[in-house]
Amino acid sequence: MKEPFSQTGGGVAVRLGADERQVLRGLTEVIEAAGDADGRFAYTAHPDDADAEHGYRALLGDSLDTARGEDRATMTATLDAKVLDEEAAMAWMRVIGDARIALAHRLGIEDDGWEEARDPTDPETALLMYLGYLQDTLVRVLT
Amino acid sequence: MSTTTAPQRTDHPSADTDHESDRPWQVIVWNDPVNLMSYVVWVLRKLFGHPVEEATRLMLQVHNEGRAVVSNGPLEKAEHDCHRLHHHGLWATLERT
Repeated sequence: MKEPFSQTGGGVAVRLGADERQVLRGLTEVIEAAGDADGRFAYTAHPDDADAEHGYRALLGDSLDTARGEDRATMTATLDAKVLDEEAAMAWMRVIGDARIALAHRLGIEDDGWEEARDPTDPETALLMYLGYLQDTLVRVLT
Repeated sequence: MSTTTAPQRTDHPSADTDHESDRPWQVIVWNDPVNLMSYVVWVLRKLFGHPVEEATRLMLQVHNEGRAVVSNGPLEKAEHDCHRLHHHGLWATLERT
């Protein structure tokens, strides 16, 4: 089986079919539909110190949401590319990770070991595992 | 996941205030059931420059013990590190050392 991503001169070669790219095109919607995923995306630096958290928020503003949105925009803009530069490949990796978190939240996954406990033919579970395969391949290519 | 308790602030700030901002902080990464082990290792190497052995040790500590200290320093640096971990989807918080 051909790997979906491989190293090439100056970037990451993408070998995905139209159907697979269409799946990836839908990830933005998966992530945005999750909202803050019952707090999973509501990151805090100081969970037990409201004053310190207020300072952290004041310093960062909405830069985290902005960065995550930029990653999704980068992925959308490069979905048909044959080669990704490293920046784009890292954006894909983060968006795929966010989509996995959103899907896992939708599936009610809260504990380790879910891979063995879940029905792999369930479409959303299958997507979660497929995205894990894609992310793992990207990790290997970028390492 | 965030069950940690921060030390209480003292009622005698005059003695500590000058050094409060200099006290080092540590950045904790917490276990979650979704992020891939390989991805967590990659993030720790990419963000902090850890050698693969150290990044793998920290990832396994997160996985087995529920948390690990992945970096430390003054508040500003620790908050920056925490922000970058959040951007990569890792659940991270700060604690005073």
